[in-house]
Amino acid sequence: MDTFTIALWVLRLAFVALIYIFLLLVVRGLWRDLRAGIASAGEPIGRLLVVAAPEGQPPAGSAFALDAVNSIGRDVNNSIVVEDTFVSAEHAMLTFRGRAWFIEDRGSTNGTWVNGQRVETYLPLGFGDEIQVGQVRLRLERPRIT
Amino acid sequence: MSRAWQPTQPGRSPDIGGSLLRLALAMLIGYGALAAGLAYWQVIDAERLSTDPRNPLVIAAARNAPRGSIYDTNGELLAHNLRVGGGQQQRAYPAAVAAPVVGYRSIIFGSAGLERTYDAQLTGLRSGSAADDLLRKFRADPYDPADLHLSLDLRLQEYAAQQLGDFRGAIVAIEPSTGRILAMVTSPTFDPNRIVDPQRGARYVARLRDRSDSPLLNRATQGLYVPGSVFKIVTAGAGLGSNAISGGTTYESQPEEYETGFLVEGFRIRDAPRSVQTDHPLDFLEATEVSSNIWYAHAALDIGAQGLLEWAGRFGFGERIPFDLPTSASQVTRAGGPLAGFSDRVELANAAYGQGQVLVTPLQMALVAATIANGGVAMKPKLVDEFRTASGQVTRVGPEAWRTVLDRGDAQLIREAMQLAVEGQYGRRFAGGARIDGVSVAGKTGTAQVGPRDEPHSWFIGFAPADSPQIAVAVIVENGGSGGERAAPIGGRLMARYLQLQR
Amino acid sequence: MTGLRRGLHRAGIRPRLRRRELTLLLVVGLALVTGWASLAAQQAGTLDLGEPTLLIVYLGVLLAIHVAFLISGRRMDQYLLPTAGMLGGLSLLLMMRLPQGMAGQSLFGTLLPLAPLQLVWLVLGFGLLGAVAVLVRNDGWLRRYKYTWAAIGIGLLLLVFIFGDSRGGQLLTLRIGPFSGQPSELLKVILVVFVAGYLAENRALLTMTSSRLGPIRMPPVPYMLPMLVMWGLALAIVVIQRDLGAALLFFLIFLALLYTATRRAAYVLTGLALFAAGGFVVYELFSHVQQRIDIWLDPSADPLGAGYQILRAMYAFGRGGVLGTGLGGGLPQIGGAPAIPAIHTDFVFAALAEELGMLGGLAILALYGIIAQRGLRIAATAADDFRALLATGLTLVIVVQAAIIIGGNLRVIPLTGVTLPLISYGGSSLLVNGAIVGLLLALSDPGAELPPLPSRRPSLWRRLTGRARDVGGRIEEAIS
Repeated sequence: MDTFTIALWVLRLAFVALIYIFLLLVVRGLWRDLRAGIASAGEPIGRLLVVAAPEGQPPAGSAFALDAVNSIGRDVNNSIVVEDTFVSAEHAMLTFRGRAWFIEDRGSTNGTWVNGQRVETYLPLGFGDEIQVGQVRLRLERPRIT
Repeated sequence: MSRAWQPTQPGRSPDIGGSLLRLALAMLIGYGALAAGLAYWQVIDAERLSTDPRNPLVIAAARNAPRGSIYDTNGELLAHNLRVGGGQQQRAYPAAVAAPVVGYRSIIFGSAGLERTYDAQLTGLRSGSAADDLLRKFRADPYDPADLHLSLDLRLQEYAAQQLGDFRGAIVAIEPSTGRILAMVTSPTFDPNRIVDPQRGARYVARLRDRSDSPLLNRATQGLYVPGSVFKIVTAGAGLGSNAISGGTTYESQPEEYETGFLVEGFRIRDAPRSVQTDHPLDFLEATEVSSNIWYAHAALDIGAQGLLEWAGRFGFGERIPFDLPTSASQVTRAGGPLAGFSDRVELANAAYGQGQVLVTPLQMALVAATIANGGVAMKPKLVDEFRTASGQVTRVGPEAWRTVLDRGDAQLIREAMQLAVEGQYGRRFAGGARIDGVSVAGKTGTAQVGPRDEPHSWFIGFAPADSPQIAVAVIVENGGSGGERAAPIGGRLMARYLQLQR
Repeated sequence: MTGLRRGLHRAGIRPRLRRRELTLLLVVGLALVTGWASLAAQQAGTLDLGEPTLLIVYLGVLLAIHVAFLISGRRMDQYLLPTAGMLGGLSLLLMMRLPQGMAGQSLFGTLLPLAPLQLVWLVLGFGLLGAVAVLVRNDGWLRRYKYTWAAIGIGLLLLVFIFGDSRGGQLLTLRIGPFSGQPSELLKVILVVFVAGYLAENRALLTMTSSRLGPIRMPPVPYMLPMLVMWGLALAIVVIQRDLGAALLFFLIFLALLYTATRRAAYVLTGLALFAAGGFVVYELFSHVQQRIDIWLDPSADPLGAGYQILRAMYAFGRGGVLGTGLGGGLPQIGGAPAIPAIHTDFVFAALAEELGMLGGLAILALYGIIAQRGLRIAATAADDFRALLATGLTLVIVVQAAIIIGGNLRVIPLTGVTLPLISYGGSSLLVNGAIVGLLLALSDPGAELPPLPSRRPSLWRRLTGRARDVGGRIEEAIS
């Protein structure tokens, strides 16, 4: 076996080996992503603080832990139930998309307001912004660090 | 009032996650099937694919490195490539008489015989040794076709074919000490040159296939026949080996049974008229010399069904003998019966002298003779002595002991009996045709009954010289009459010729 | 430097490092260079490594796209580009090894043989990939105009049907001047867009109500109608065009998307039953289908005619073994023609498996598996149903098509004429698949524009039936 044949074999095997190294790197990355995703799945990504609720429900000062998708309204099937006369059964949707929070109005009778501005389709929110549905005022807060 | 619009779907509905998971699973299963298919073609079936003669690689290799030739033991050419018009290579077979052994190789009809068994070595895709094959993968040009050098002796082969003539049948000649096949003839046979002929091959093959006498069948290795009395050697081996009988065993009732026949469960076994001494019970040597069915029937019943099967199995019965060509397995009984496979004692008694359900190949019987000749040790039959590649590499295929069937003493005794069967005062009446001047010959004839309307098969097995055997033969002439008539003289002459050639 | 950054930020552009992608691309580059070295060495017989121009251009394009992604700052999936890059690289290496005369096209005055031509298509395809990934920020243009897209698709098909160039009994290509393309490639994407859009919009209705035909549960017929019509038309034309692989692909993707949207296994089973019935009918009626199936079952029945290709492919596989024969070591040409007909389109997998062995073949399967995983993950974390279904459909177009042609190569299923995405030779295939990967990348950005609220105007159908219901309701009231 001359050097050329050996070299050729080394090259051939190295080629296939490199493809497999690529595959392994990908799989390792995917595995890490998966673990990270699972780890962070349980943590809340935000809180909704009840600033004021004239009719008493929900009680002022209480806070809701937020998921990525939260529905707000009077109907009990919402994730955030607000019992107020001026709140529609399905009033608004608070979602976390990508890197920001967004509030959408779902065709409520009296509209949804953010910091005094009416929500036409949807508006982005940041921590500290205040939402008003009916007579109830809610504020988006950071998640509490446990 | 009807809802004018759909509520906002909260992002992506949670169900979709589940469906996607199932979808992913389906994909996994699908791709798993593909991976399995890949593994199958590239690993499991790769061997077969890479030596398939239609493989363009094999074809291309054949063009660059011509297929190896096949020679007999004296260097006579049995198969080689001829350059025909147009730069093509065609296979040619100068000795059509070796056809059943050498076979043929045709692009259209595939291959047969040694051309098929050692196709890879002849093409050069594989060599005779596995280690070399592994290293070969690393070479740039991996094709190294090998020539086959056979143990076959063309002169003997031609002589044997001549002797068999137009009769249907087969002849096998082995060298007992090594297992080398010296001659292997089947009749009728075919002309391989006409098979590979591109113009006329198809018609020739069609005609061959239409014939009822199957010229393409290698009767020597795959023909199954009723053996008749040649099987008594096996029975003898079983009896002596299991100590059910010894050299001095006699059966009191025998002389009387010559008259009345030996009654086994209603079936009457008889010896041939005026063939047996009736004044005293025969012992082993005598019974073999005169080929007494009655004595052997007794012996078989003493050995028992299990014993007969077991010892016949040691000779090779019930399995395909490992060989360079495909072989059929010989059988002692068709099996399935209540008596260890036999239907009843009648069948067992009939099997003793090679009737009943016994079916043998000529190769098996030659091996039996060779085993006795070789002191009870059966050597593995082989056709190839060595591989010689174009690059000069030589791989020898040494003789290999297959199994020890009998001990020396028993083999010796059987040999004596077989010698008497040919040369003894009574024996010569049957197998005398096998005698050779100046040489002691051991053998046994057989006259196999094949039905009321047909002539029996004529059988002979034997070896010579009896004291230090150089050749063992098995001859069968289909419907050739009694053993002594046809087969024995052929066997004798064949052995004589061989001994002559050796001088 | 900060001034530049601030300026870019104001324009909405925030460059972001994509470390993982860079690392993977480097490995890809290294692997491809090694592969090219082994190819060159095997072909030359010595360690003279020749000119790697084509490969360098290709790697440069990949790098450029990476930089473009980096500058755009979009947080897209970092695995898709390297994986696609590896596949494209394998394609290039293979084309370099095959007889160059297998394809040729005159561009700008010079005649380009196989490898450079494939490079051109690769550059265009990956360029399209990059452009789509960076520039596509919302999906409204797909979502809103699905019926328009459907119409365009059918129009394309009819165009080919009428004006198409028949090659080997198949009306597949359309010649416009010097360029020829295969609209069926584009049609797949259009179909996915339409089906995804339709299913997303009517998902609730489809899931909750269903028509019953005896014991068989089918999606509610009125709502399925537009989709079925579209699908049936596409199928019919494809069958008439004898592109059985595309028909199979359409069907499978349609069923998969239906299942994903409704999660009703019953629909899938019904669909499969219909497929079996349809397949049987087609088998009986069309001789070329019969031939395909017969050859699949026993190719040695016609070793010099129809079975030739697949037999050659089998030998190629067998020859490869576990480690392969090395790039360049594949079956030699026989009489000037490559060992397997259509080796650069239909049988690329066999060629690669022969030269890279079983290990290489499994690696290629794994690469498509990665695309599948990333694509389905993008679907799983998509912002809404339409995007999820779209991502699923697009992923399936690549991954299922790959499975179909690889399965045909391996005799697991009958051979069909679809291309191996990103590897087979062919401009249309590369362009469309590049666009698909680009779209997937665009969809993978979690910061992409939100999907709009569904419009307050209901779909045409609902409007019509709504009217009818209103009238019906009033009559009801009047009567009662």
